[in-house]
Amino acid sequence: MLSPIVLVQIVVNGVGLAAIYILVALGFTLLFGIMRVVNFAHGAFAMLGGYALYYLYSIYDVPYLVAAPVAALFVAAAALVLERFVYRRFYQKMFQSMIALLGLDMAIASTALIIWDSHERSIKPAVSDILQLGGIIVPADKLVIVAVAAIALAAFYLFTHFTRAGLAMRAAAQDVETAEAQGIDTRVTYQLSFFIAIFMAALAGGFYGQTYALSPFMGERPLMMAFIVVILGGMGSIPGVALGGLLLGLGESFLSTFYGSSVSVFVSFGAVILLLVFRPWGLLGTPEK
Amino acid sequence: MTAFLEVSNLTRQFGGLTAVRDLSFTVTQQEILGIIGPNGAGKTTAVNLMSGVIRPTAGTVMFAGQVITGQSPHRLVRSGLVRTFQSTTVFTDRTVYENALRGAFLSVYPGALHTFFGTARARRMRRETEQRIDELLEWLGLTDVAHLTAGNLPYGYQKTLGLVIALASRPRLIMLDEPVAGLSAEEADQVRETILRVRDSGITVVVIDHNMRFIKGLCDRVLVIHQGHELAIGKPLDVLANPAVIEAYLGRGHAAAHR
Amino acid sequence: MNTTTVSGLAAPRDGRALATGWPARIAIAGILALVILPLLPVGSFVLSIGTTAFITAIAAASLHLLIRTGHVSMGHAAFMGIGAYASVLVTMKLQLPFAAGLVAAFVAPAILALLIGPLVLRLAGKYFVLVTFLFGEIVRMVFVEWTTLTGGANGIPGVPPPHPRLLDPQAYYYFALGFAIVLIGFIARLLSSEIGRSIDAIREGENLAECSGVPVLRVKVCIFALSCGIVGIAGALQGHFIRYIDPTSFSMVQSLNLVVVNVIGGMYALVGPIIGTAFFMITPELLRDYVELQRVIFGIIIIVVIAFFPGGLVEIAQRRADALRGKRKVGP
Repeated sequence: MLSPIVLVQIVVNGVGLAAIYILVALGFTLLFGIMRVVNFAHGAFAMLGGYALYYLYSIYDVPYLVAAPVAALFVAAAALVLERFVYRRFYQKMFQSMIALLGLDMAIASTALIIWDSHERSIKPAVSDILQLGGIIVPADKLVIVAVAAIALAAFYLFTHFTRAGLAMRAAAQDVETAEAQGIDTRVTYQLSFFIAIFMAALAGGFYGQTYALSPFMGERPLMMAFIVVILGGMGSIPGVALGGLLLGLGESFLSTFYGSSVSVFVSFGAVILLLVFRPWGLLGTPEK
Repeated sequence: MTAFLEVSNLTRQFGGLTAVRDLSFTVTQQEILGIIGPNGAGKTTAVNLMSGVIRPTAGTVMFAGQVITGQSPHRLVRSGLVRTFQSTTVFTDRTVYENALRGAFLSVYPGALHTFFGTARARRMRRETEQRIDELLEWLGLTDVAHLTAGNLPYGYQKTLGLVIALASRPRLIMLDEPVAGLSAEEADQVRETILRVRDSGITVVVIDHNMRFIKGLCDRVLVIHQGHELAIGKPLDVLANPAVIEAYLGRGHAAAHR
Repeated sequence: MNTTTVSGLAAPRDGRALATGWPARIAIAGILALVILPLLPVGSFVLSIGTTAFITAIAAASLHLLIRTGHVSMGHAAFMGIGAYASVLVTMKLQLPFAAGLVAAFVAPAILALLIGPLVLRLAGKYFVLVTFLFGEIVRMVFVEWTTLTGGANGIPGVPPPHPRLLDPQAYYYFALGFAIVLIGFIARLLSSEIGRSIDAIREGENLAECSGVPVLRVKVCIFALSCGIVGIAGALQGHFIRYIDPTSFSMVQSLNLVVVNVIGGMYALVGPIIGTAFFMITPELLRDYVELQRVIFGIIIIVVIAFFPGGLVEIAQRRADALRGKRKVGP
């Protein structure tokens, strides 16, 4: 039943999920808010992040705290090639971007299938201890994930609030045309946002592969979650992502504890559809025009 | 004089903002009524309310003796009330002719089964409509460009085409939202002539604009809206001489208006 | 002034090439070829590919009908699944004839579309995409979770054929071809009528259409219901052909395939999804031993088509035809 201990447990699990969701969704919303592309390939980059972490950490034994960011950096850097040849063509073209990036998702996932085939791998945990704090059981691994995610999010916050490039990015997320009129170099801003977005997706993909399992199709669920978080919070709204991620993470943790995971997915999808129908701009977004 | 269009206590709030407040006026048949006001005065909201694009918070609109408040635009077209849009709205990828034909949807559409099976009735309606559209294009001087793609036409032609689309449904009252915005003085004069001819053919006109010269030379009466509310209504010259109007609407543009 | 010349100007009816002239002749030639095909010594494998292609073409054309209103559904396979499950349950659980199953396959998804349509079709295109994307997933989860009715993830095996004679692949080939001709012909006629004109008007300028007297929401809801009903029939044809249904056959991947077929072929002419289907069914056969490579190439093709030919293969063909005609043109 709902004892305080269970409640705390639910909250801890929920925050762990929320951290991953926020990381994935933040990149998704950046790409949407600034470049107006709906990145259907977002999950594919998460998947690549998972494999990158697998190689660095599980195979080559690079220390975890180095491996996690380096793996994500590597994926984001490689993705810049795709930015140049694919993404750039679809900036500010929302509908075309959806379909083209679906194609990209298909291409990346199938390539991964050719390279790594479909059998699932697992990434060894960062720490295998289990912490027990007054009856609350928390795998230390999960705490590491939350901590790294929190550092990434804090870095993102500092970057977007205190550096020139970051401020330019935030301005562009609010209104690209005005930002351009004020002399912001959109090309650089686009590239930077893309890099950061993919970095966060890849980082989250590593955590995700660590929590669940690694396979070429593991990107589907993070993509779905990014969708839901972004719709909940409002497409393109950065604070909306934090709110949406927390709502979804805590909601999922709560519902799946008491009613099972399928109920929790039904409820979150249903809630999002209702929200889309009655308030399509999300909880914190603003209606267009 | 009986009222053809009668607006009573029309009010619309958006959240805490009142865009149109307690607006009442009438339009008589075959009159040209101008609605003017500074930007954000609620002119377009008023047209949207009357043409059914948005629903009023309170108040009623009567048209030809029927209450039409809150009816959707396509039903109002059926009863003879049509509006145009502020920015030129035409189907840009289509020919002028196709545009006009689409405007005449109701007079070509004989019902789902008739049109699906191409019955004699559907073909007859189609023929009659095509003939009427030929006449309409001829009347407004678009015959020569009928086969051209609408989006490639000069702006003035597109504005006229917008009018053709509206007239194609055979309206009894037409509302024009800024019909001369973005046009040169000569083009505006042409549009004015056209609107006068439309009125002379028996159609009542409500026109919104903030081009003072245009409104003065066109309208029988003028309604000035300020902050969503009626400020003055009457003959153009009387209204423009009204001190309240000069202060609220003209303000620093005072000199310009009297040029 | 001679008015007949002006009427004549309207004759090349914009974007609706399928109704008259040489496109009709090509269509008839294509149908004849498909009728003759099984008479050649081709083997049952080709017949089975053909049957699947006809079913895919029906589904893609039904999605095309909806796309013409400006709404791209990413959950169309869900409605296909509802049709398939409806027909299978009616014939297997209620022991009713296939005709009743077919009616159920049309009615069940159409009614669902009528219920949700008035809500979701108010949304702008991009939000509609998102809603249908999630809706498709919800429907798939219902298929998985409602085990007493749907058999859950294991699906329902042993689906009976519509008629014992239709166990013969050649017979089913003609059966499916007949449905494809009738249903796609129906859609073609609908699109070339005044209803089609109002559908195009809605996509190109919803407000303007509404203010020209088109009951926009009603048209969209009816077209959505019709589209979902037709794709339901395609689902039933597929279920009774493969004789097995399960949730994965109607998942997001299938929905995306239907969108891809439309995009590759061309979204704004009915020939688009038909050409797209042919492309979609034939290219994989050329790479049959490399299923993954096939998907990679497909993905790249989608990107290239969208980037350079937003009008799809139809646009490429049209440009070539225009270029050829331009050489011969003598003047206006």
